[in-house]
Amino acid sequence: MTTRRKRPAAKKKTTRKKAPARKKRASRRTRRGGIFRSLVGLALLAGLAATVGFATYAALLGVEISREFEARRWDVPAQVFATPLELYPGRSIALDELVAELRRLGYREAASADRPGRYRISGAALDVMTRAYRYGAEEEPSRRVSIEFAGRQVARVVDAVGSDLPLLRFDPLQIGSVFPVHGEDRLILEPADVPPLLIDALKAIEDRRFDQHHGIDIKGVLRAAFVNLRAGEIRQGASTLTQQLVRSYFLSNERTWSRKLREAVMAFALELHYEKDELLHAYINEVYLAQDGARAIHGFGLGSRFYFGKPLDELELHELALLVAQVRGPTYYNPKRHPERALARRNLVLEQLASQGIVAPDDAQQAAARELDVLGEAGRSASYYAAFLSLVRRQLFEEYPRDELERRGLQVLTTLDPAIQAAAESALIRELDSIQANRESAPPLEGAVVVTSPHNAEVLALVGSRKSGYDGFNRALDARRPIGSLIKPVVYLAALESKRYTLASTIDDAPIEIRLENGQTWLPKNFDDRARGVVPVVRALAESLNMATVRLGMDVGLERIADLLMRLGLEQRPRPYPSLLLGALSATPYEVAQIYNSLANGGFRTPLKAVRAVVSEDGERVQRYPLEIMSAAAADDVYALNSALVQVMERGTGGSARRALGADMTVAGKTGTSDDLRDSWFAGFTGDRLVVAWIGNDDNQPTGLTGATGAGRVWASVLRTIGTVPYTAPPPAETNLTWIDLDTGLATEPTCPRAVQIAVPRGEEPPLARSCGDIRPRPGAQIRRFFRRTFE
Amino acid sequence: MNRHALIFSLLLATAGCSTAQPLIVTAPRPAPAPRAPAPAPEAEPDRFPPSRDAGFPAPSAEARRIPEPVIPAEPPPAAPPASAALLEQSRSQRAAGSLAAAAASIERALRIDPNNAELWLELGEIKLADGDPLQAEQMARKATTLAGGDFRLAARAERLLAVAASCVRGDC
Repeated sequence: MTTRRKRPAAKKKTTRKKAPARKKRASRRTRRGGIFRSLVGLALLAGLAATVGFATYAALLGVEISREFEARRWDVPAQVFATPLELYPGRSIALDELVAELRRLGYREAASADRPGRYRISGAALDVMTRAYRYGAEEEPSRRVSIEFAGRQVARVVDAVGSDLPLLRFDPLQIGSVFPVHGEDRLILEPADVPPLLIDALKAIEDRRFDQHHGIDIKGVLRAAFVNLRAGEIRQGASTLTQQLVRSYFLSNERTWSRKLREAVMAFALELHYEKDELLHAYINEVYLAQDGARAIHGFGLGSRFYFGKPLDELELHELALLVAQVRGPTYYNPKRHPERALARRNLVLEQLASQGIVAPDDAQQAAARELDVLGEAGRSASYYAAFLSLVRRQLFEEYPRDELERRGLQVLTTLDPAIQAAAESALIRELDSIQANRESAPPLEGAVVVTSPHNAEVLALVGSRKSGYDGFNRALDARRPIGSLIKPVVYLAALESKRYTLASTIDDAPIEIRLENGQTWLPKNFDDRARGVVPVVRALAESLNMATVRLGMDVGLERIADLLMRLGLEQRPRPYPSLLLGALSATPYEVAQIYNSLANGGFRTPLKAVRAVVSEDGERVQRYPLEIMSAAAADDVYALNSALVQVMERGTGGSARRALGADMTVAGKTGTSDDLRDSWFAGFTGDRLVVAWIGNDDNQPTGLTGATGAGRVWASVLRTIGTVPYTAPPPAETNLTWIDLDTGLATEPTCPRAVQIAVPRGEEPPLARSCGDIRPRPGAQIRRFFRRTFE
Repeated sequence: MNRHALIFSLLLATAGCSTAQPLIVTAPRPAPAPRAPAPAPEAEPDRFPPSRDAGFPAPSAEARRIPEPVIPAEPPPAAPPASAALLEQSRSQRAAGSLAAAAASIERALRIDPNNAELWLELGEIKLADGDPLQAEQMARKATTLAGGDFRLAARAERLLAVAASCVRGDC
């Protein structure tokens, strides 16, 4: 914007300087002759000077407008796309969920799926014609297919000739663009993408003599002046499309004669340099059609997406007419704020199209009877993914110059899953509202959610506030809060790595005193202030016992734990203070997701990723961000830890979140609560999704919520509404799955009430208890463990 | 700004509808018996009632069937047709010399079938061919953790690991 603003200003100065210089020279000459001759000469010379001056002025304006025109023609913000919807036999998605996805993509239900963007439901199947598009370097043709369901799963995808397709990919949803600071967003249409009806309609409504005039419509000006004079007010404007184009380039709305003159001269210059259809095409991509917060919607391509959520060539007559109606004033005729004005203007457009013979009168009448049909506010807000886009921008700005992103028409293919994003947003709102419904006059809680796909660390959803679509403080990325007990899995993993503990080893959950460097003594307490005595490691983690954890962590060593945090993906090495063991470490939900993603991915670290590829405008150059993994912790240790995190959910602090999910949904997770209940955390994963949720107050006041009673509800609510699969993993070769008693750590029968299944290294299985209720370990076990610890 | 307020209130309104539903779906296990004095829900915390006196009572032994293993160790599943088709596509892309496209197809297959050891191996082999033995090694490790009892896959992973490791040492 700044460069663009400066250019015209600089030109103005040079033009002004030249004119006085000429006058001086002229005046010197006039002194030599007589008065009369001098006067005539003066007049002539003044006239000449004025003409030369004006010609120079006009020529300079011509150069300026041409330069602007050329620059603008290709000035396209990078377009950002979500991950495309893929359907294949076996994919879990119900018919109604598919319909919701298609509607989000702007597909419409119709009597027949005979055009791209249309679908038809017939019984338990859905017929659809997909749109042709290019995803990265891959061309996808339009396909007409039938999708058959078996319950909540896709059973078959059958194409028009009846053969089975293994896989079907839809056009990806555009979720935004990297528009410049001045906020102009657009989506450039090629001439072939512009429906002829739009061209006819624009000429008919805005500039009837477009094909005849040379940028300025003198007849039109006179007619308008006459009409306005008679009416005593401004009824008609006479700006040609070319003048409107010029005006939109310089973002100025001042109504002065000098500006009018500039505009007219520039319009004339444009007409000299360019063909009519070039100008019209530029106009179609340039005209201002709506305002969406800081984002100004320019051009019919984006206008169509913005108002109707579908491409321009799929618009029906009444929709197209509404877009044309917006040209006159998107604020005044805003269909959301002033539906009656918008409707009246749209119908006037339809009437004029009919009277000028552009559409059949019957069609116009039918269209005039339709609703406005613009996307509701809910659809609108879901279509603008502010929190996720800010993550995309941060990742892109690390590698691309701003200018490249704002102007070169790049296509950015991201990892966002719109259905999961919608589920995460509504889960957060629903649970926060429900929590607050039971409270009086509490300050509004805030929250954040991050959802990833663990195996490739792709960020599927990111919620940074309870206000969806809100482009402000992004808590998922920027709220750095103490993570409390979310750190414990790292402490326990470090213990398993040390090979001095298994999940069946016992530790003493008894009061412990830690002498700190500053000479003070730290006395960690359990949440309920009660000591559990000697417990197996798995129970200490499942029940989030603080004293046992501190004892374990001090024994393993704080440096090891800090190192492990780094290996798992924390960027800054935390200071190895004892309080680290109980989560006196501040991290953002996004950073927590990075650490837990490494656990969910079996010990492989992968940097969280929001961008899959960046494609040049012509589709020729593709910058991919390939999947890369790095082993961060031994697979068998992580496997064992994860088996304990499953017990957190089955038998521990994750119980309420676990019970909110289906009986067969195996999940692994952990609660976290910071001091005085200021932060409520929950992090956990299924077989293919990791969800991290945080709830807190922006002013850091206590929330009265634990990890389980706050974030755990959001966590479970997200997982309940997205399609996911239970956590599964084949046991590593040197690992045995074994049943132990949760109280004693002794091996036990699976049927015993306190039996839990955990993973232990082969050969480290605990001895068998005498019976289910046997709470005393056999003496031999303790002695053997003592020897093992001492001599290994 | 008004629009945000409107969205927010709309969402509030819709969210309000759901509060009538139970927040927590009934658990597979019976709920813990209430104990006196019952702690306030907010005060019931990041804490688990001590097992010996209350807490999550497990059902009686006879009511309880032999449970499924808690971490189901799925046998390597037969590749779904979608990932098989993508694997095939990747192989022809690789044969045509387009390693980046071949890798992208495998990544796409992994999104559908992330625990398929063969896909990770395939990706590792592409990385090796593409001059990235470090990633090839990592992919082989990942495949090993997923191979389960499939000796053929485990052996293929071993081979890739050995070749990649020697390449990393600059010896291939």
